[in-house]
Amino acid sequence: MSENEKLLVVKDLVTTFATPGGPLPAVGGVSFDLDQNETLGIVGESGSGKTVLSRTIMGLQPRTNVTVSGSALLNGFEVVGASERAKRQIWGTDVAMVFQDPMTSLNPVMRIGKQIDESLRVRHGMSRSSAKHRAIELLELVGIPSPQQRYSAYPGQLSGGMRQRVVIAIALAGSPKLLMADEPTTGLDVTIQAQILNLLDELKERLKMSVILVTHDLGVVATRTSRIIVMYAGRIVEMGTTRDVFQDHRMPYTRALLESSPKVASPSHTRLVTIPGRPPNLLKLAAGCSFAPRCAYATDRCRQERPELQPAGDPGHLFACWNPLPTTRGATPQ
Amino acid sequence: MTQERQPLLKVRDLNVVFGSRHHAVSAVAGVSFDIFPGETLGLVGESGCGKSTTGKALMRIVEPSSGTIELEGVDIASQSGRALRNIRTHMQMIFQDPISSLNPRRRVKDIVAEPLDCWKSVKGTERDVLISDLLNKVGIDPAVYGNRYARQFSGGQCQRISIARSLAMRPKLLICDEMVSALDVSVQAQILNLLEDLKHEYGLTLLFIAHDLAVVKNVSDRVAVMYLGKICEIGPGDSLYEAPAHPYTKFLLGAALEADPDSPMHSQVLEGEPPSPLNPPSGCRFRTRCPNATELCASEEPQPREIAPGHQVACHFPLTITRK
Repeated sequence: MSENEKLLVVKDLVTTFATPGGPLPAVGGVSFDLDQNETLGIVGESGSGKTVLSRTIMGLQPRTNVTVSGSALLNGFEVVGASERAKRQIWGTDVAMVFQDPMTSLNPVMRIGKQIDESLRVRHGMSRSSAKHRAIELLELVGIPSPQQRYSAYPGQLSGGMRQRVVIAIALAGSPKLLMADEPTTGLDVTIQAQILNLLDELKERLKMSVILVTHDLGVVATRTSRIIVMYAGRIVEMGTTRDVFQDHRMPYTRALLESSPKVASPSHTRLVTIPGRPPNLLKLAAGCSFAPRCAYATDRCRQERPELQPAGDPGHLFACWNPLPTTRGATPQ
Repeated sequence: MTQERQPLLKVRDLNVVFGSRHHAVSAVAGVSFDIFPGETLGLVGESGCGKSTTGKALMRIVEPSSGTIELEGVDIASQSGRALRNIRTHMQMIFQDPISSLNPRRRVKDIVAEPLDCWKSVKGTERDVLISDLLNKVGIDPAVYGNRYARQFSGGQCQRISIARSLAMRPKLLICDEMVSALDVSVQAQILNLLEDLKHEYGLTLLFIAHDLAVVKNVSDRVAVMYLGKICEIGPGDSLYEAPAHPYTKFLLGAALEADPDSPMHSQVLEGEPPSPLNPPSGCRFRTRCPNATELCASEEPQPREIAPGHQVACHFPLTITRK
């Protein structure tokens, strides 16, 4: 596959915040790419840099106290270093974002119809009536019952699940090629969560979009994504197809993350596997592997030298570890 | 199995109604359950089902409208003043947001000592030793962290401090309201293991309220499922998860996301959303979303009935039980 077929190519992306305690590398050199019509999952715990990464790719970092280097080529457009005016050309049409909290990402004193119209009229120069027509179509597309009436409802009159559907409708208004969903279902009930995830899946197929699903919940990405990126302390520690990451992970952190979440299938009072310690302070990152202080397999080399991503057996499966777990597949790569 | 034992907590027909006549919301509508000594009862349900209100009503943080709450035979619902304060020392609650439930401007050891200081039960060195011991138990080094302020701690550490505070009065019953929901999975696992250890060490009885089915199953001996203010199913955790008898329980379990790429995609997703508790449906409250609902469900409210030892379900048409 040549690179120009890729929807998104990210190379050595670094996002550093200037803080009173010194430079904080929230994203510390991340490279990956994304195909057309693919769903990629980015997982990590809080502070792993997954949200900052997704915002940097969109060019949504704050104006001050932040430096971004590297490259993020989105559908041929270089996001890093682009002016606000230039970025406005890709927001909505090339990339759109669904945020976590559907209450705060909607304007509480504006009718939801108007909030969808807004982008249609400003970005696509639609007339008032055709924008309304399209907005109602979008509400129907995201599965909101009686869209005609809901068009003039306020966000406060809708439930959390319905509000998230409205946020998705706004994101879809410009027919984006990439939908960035940052914790789209966190804070929603399980049955509603299932509805929203099914909706995203269905829309991705119907509209031929790519989706990046950023989440802390491994359950969310397990059945919905084709590939997964695992982040720790601002870096990718493992990346591969969903199956490889779940079943043939090589990085001890990936295993620890998988094992520490309770399973519905396991019996009551099963002792959970825990990761000792806490994620590192990004202001005081050690020279070696960031996970070394918490890792059961850490050696002196891990503490001194940072492991780079290296290929595992399957194509596209990469991990960053000096002492990887044995592969569960027959052939061990040399 | 637990029939002959006396329950530690006996809740009968608990009702909590918010608001006045025309805008009355019955958040908890006739909930009855027992918790036996040394047992963990899990309470699951979606937001708005009344699980947190139930927990708060037991502590009388919100006032129950009717019903009885007996802790070792004493009705909490009818007590007041000093008697109520005395009973409350036997029950403690741990809340969801670990950071906002601690005063950011107080020192850790003072936060943990607060219940002791209120009751003036221990003083001086004895008090200090007790606090150091509690902090050690929850994995916080009192010598290093005891004098720090609550705001200097992460969510997981704050939750440990909350646990230490709740254990200070040696309670019999601990009510945990979504205590791990705000934590990362690796920290969540640490806290759940800690809770399990302390439960054995202090001989605690727990009411564990959460929305996460996997977490609830992990900690609970028995599980109660709530929907719109009512308990629709209650039973031993393992059998309830294996063979849910109430259609709602089945949907809830089906919607839970497993971290396994081979797990089936949600074949059966529950449509719609819970109806407003302002105007609950007649009869069975779940009937508006239930695929098996009939006219009987609309006209008559299903009463809880026992389908297996210790396993009760409130449904006219419970799903077939495959267990013997």
